[in-house]
Amino acid sequence: MDWSYFIYFAVVAVLLWGVGAWAAWKNKSAAAYGATLAGLLVFFCFIVSMWVSLERPPLRTMGETRLWYSFFLPLVGCIVYSRWKYKWILSFSTVLAMVFICVNLFKPEIHSKTLMPALQSPWFAPHVIVYMFAYAVLGAATVMALYMLFIKRSTVTEQEYEITDNLVYVGLAFMTFGMLFGALWAKEAWGHYWSWDPKETWAAITWFSYLIYIHYRRLPKHNARLALWVLLLSFVLLQMCWWGINYLPAAQGTSVHTYGT
Amino acid sequence: MKLSMWKKPWTMKEGFLIGGGLVVIGLMVQLCFGAVPWSAIAWPLNGLLFGALLALTVIAFLMRKRIYVIRFLASYMAAIPILVYAVVLTIVMGLTRQQSGLDMNSEGTWLNDMLAFWPFVLIYVLMAVILALVILRRLAHLSSWRRDIPFVMNHLGLFLAMTTATLGNADMQRLKMVAAVGIPEWRALAVNGAIQRLPMTIELKRFIMETYDDGSAKRYASEVLIRKASGETVETTIDVNRPVEIEGWKIYQYGYDTEMGAQSHISILELVSDPWLPFVYVGIYMMLGGAVCLFVFGGRRGKTNGEVIN
Repeated sequence: MDWSYFIYFAVVAVLLWGVGAWAAWKNKSAAAYGATLAGLLVFFCFIVSMWVSLERPPLRTMGETRLWYSFFLPLVGCIVYSRWKYKWILSFSTVLAMVFICVNLFKPEIHSKTLMPALQSPWFAPHVIVYMFAYAVLGAATVMALYMLFIKRSTVTEQEYEITDNLVYVGLAFMTFGMLFGALWAKEAWGHYWSWDPKETWAAITWFSYLIYIHYRRLPKHNARLALWVLLLSFVLLQMCWWGINYLPAAQGTSVHTYGT
Repeated sequence: MKLSMWKKPWTMKEGFLIGGGLVVIGLMVQLCFGAVPWSAIAWPLNGLLFGALLALTVIAFLMRKRIYVIRFLASYMAAIPILVYAVVLTIVMGLTRQQSGLDMNSEGTWLNDMLAFWPFVLIYVLMAVILALVILRRLAHLSSWRRDIPFVMNHLGLFLAMTTATLGNADMQRLKMVAAVGIPEWRALAVNGAIQRLPMTIELKRFIMETYDDGSAKRYASEVLIRKASGETVETTIDVNRPVEIEGWKIYQYGYDTEMGAQSHISILELVSDPWLPFVYVGIYMMLGGAVCLFVFGGRRGKTNGEVIN
């Protein structure tokens, strides 16, 4: 199994997710779950077979992390749908997953089998998978914020705010796991748990930024729309942490987190 | 607007002013005395500072009824602005090239050594003080374990990890040792170039190197014989990602003679001793527990009654 097969799995998965999204619009929730989960299964089969054929977890390169991201988005969409029955969430998660799949198809950043010794650790998979899940959940929260700020505008309900809060809580919890697993791993791999490496600095920024949202939302008298803007800004900072620093002059050559492609 | 400033109850406006004042004070201290002398804050000074931080926050907390600013600091109205300052200053750090231990002759500005930049450090110190105050307040007003346990784990965990990691930094020793096949070595090089003698000798028995087909490193490791001061010997293999712990030192596979590769007769080891590590780990594990709670109970919005302390 290699990347040349990706397109077949991706097309089937996206079609199934599309069917699921359509079923959700039509209020056929059983079909929505069935199709979305089937799509996830197909996609996960590709991830697993990549894992087997590479003889290492497919987590090293940007292309590989996008693979997990496109897997987690419909999964998170499905969880949100099951809890709050939002018809449109599956459409959004499908479209977003499709964007990342397209990036992988057109700019694959294909990768060798090699895994440098620094990455050969039991911490590697949990650290990255947990982070990708956090990013997907926080992506869903961002979509909620955009929807409430620009589409629903003044008719936003209290329940929609609550969904967004819940997504941020779950996302932040997983982000905390990712960050602290990273710290525990760094102690074993590099001798210190926190070195203010550019990736770590931006991870701290992102983490604090979501903390601002959470604390601000708990103020009895607060501006809810301003809170949504904080959420959007936090997601921008998260992008900086995820891939932006690869293009940041100040971070060039100083980050131990850049493992190239 | 002007009239409402500093009129009780204070709002986030006052919080932002307090943070801004702290930044200004930091700039003045930086101008007068230079960067934060972190390397001087070693044992026992850091222990004293930690004790003083705890004692002063407890005393401040006990005086909260008489002093409004202490009650204010333990509120969202103070916490949120300080988080905003922390984010902004850390973004500055993220956007500028960082080099630690700038000396007089180097090119860098204050912003190139944010960790020793007084405004940055003072904002984080105030964050720690706020954390300590809200923890004390919560402990004094326990209501339900479902709300209190996650709260204490998240806040106390962060407080412990932040303060002990920072204060303990000067006590951490990171040494490099070049171990050669067949020669027991007991000296290692500190970051500042000083030679340090260790309470053990390390002898390289064999350097192991495996490569992928493209020549890149797949594994490199050192088979070593370690003789402790007591005479006891340990034979072990040190791999990347698998340090060995002996006599309070963690020994890491660091590097090798890259020109010789698999034929290398030397191995570069790193030895790390960090006496404050257990405290930092207690903080980290508390935060992990707090994150589990956040996930399990997360977002369930009880009545938010935490704004005003009494």
